[in-house]
Amino acid sequence: MPDTLGLAAIVTKFALYLGVMTAAGTVMATLMFRLDRTRGLAAAFAVLGLASTILAFSLRGANLTGDVSGMTDPEMLGLLWTTPVGTALLLRLVGLGMLISGLFMGRVGTLVSVLGGVIAIWSFNHVGHVSGRDTTLLDIALTLHLLAVALWIGVLTPLKRLASSSNTYALAADVGHRFGVVATVAVPVLIIVGGYMGYQLVGSFPALVGTGYGQALIIKVLLVGLLLGLAAANKLRFIPALRSGDPTAAGQLSKTISVEWLVILAVLGTTAVLTTNLTLPT
Amino acid sequence: MKTILLAGMIGIWATGAMAHSPLDATTPANEAAVTEMPTEVLMGFKGDIRLTRVVITHADTHSMDMDLGEQTAFTQEFALPMHDMGTGTYMIEWRGLGVDGHALNGSFSFTVE
Repeated sequence: MPDTLGLAAIVTKFALYLGVMTAAGTVMATLMFRLDRTRGLAAAFAVLGLASTILAFSLRGANLTGDVSGMTDPEMLGLLWTTPVGTALLLRLVGLGMLISGLFMGRVGTLVSVLGGVIAIWSFNHVGHVSGRDTTLLDIALTLHLLAVALWIGVLTPLKRLASSSNTYALAADVGHRFGVVATVAVPVLIIVGGYMGYQLVGSFPALVGTGYGQALIIKVLLVGLLLGLAAANKLRFIPALRSGDPTAAGQLSKTISVEWLVILAVLGTTAVLTTNLTLPT
Repeated sequence: MKTILLAGMIGIWATGAMAHSPLDATTPANEAAVTEMPTEVLMGFKGDIRLTRVVITHADTHSMDMDLGEQTAFTQEFALPMHDMGTGTYMIEWRGLGVDGHALNGSFSFTVE
């Protein structure tokens, strides 16, 4: 069983993924679908991302000494700073800082926020299993994968909000429809690059079913499959119904989005376990 | 909440695969029995690492932190001076940082007869 520090590392990584992906996705969706009133949402998740970025870095210090003293040990943290972990920390602090600053800079600010979100997402190329492979193609795959995931996550809460008031049903239907169009490109990209990364990292069928890493990946893929089913229900049934003026579809859309959120949390949790606690099959 | 539970469950079930341990060879070798206390322990790693903590436990009772003041570079070979604490089993638990930023840890033991 992982010790307390190991569990803390997983929970912190989960919060980091949730914060960075939701903040980046919210500003991307705001730019792409011209959404209103998303500033508080983006700011809250960016702050969560910043806090967990700092805590995650500090916990790595604890890993080096084996106890909590390492979390504030200047020598350990200084040592980490010289490695790619330090680069990732810098990219996240700069990226999330830009994202938050952009929220208070008017229309141009949205672009600054999106750029900040992309920088924060790019940081994931510098640490973890993908960074160890040193292939540009895998870096590009991971970035595309994360951008698509972020956009998906980012559109959910604003869409749910639009679907919760009869004044904005038409807008909800419009945003949902346009997201559906983007998704016809983004979802295949997500599946293709996800499959490619899985193949590169796991490598064989026995490794997929026979190792903890492979099994956790299977759980993740099953959860994503469930998510795709929910998204398909939205795209093929509830959004078209809402567009044609059926008000009951708004409630169904809203409920499906809530379930989607739960599944996304489970996917991010599984990913945190994959990247923190499990080693790649060799 | 469900997610945290799920993550916890996976974590518990998956810990067999925990930890990166790129320790290539040690002198004395892991689980070796030697007749004389070595003056130093040699550790050879597969890649460059910086040791951050080494704890030696003698006969499951006395633990001491090794002074790593001299070890200030990323390298593959380490020679750590040993203190003679008598016969019995010496367990060496080490922690370190790989140049890629990965935290590494592991342990090995030998017995002085």
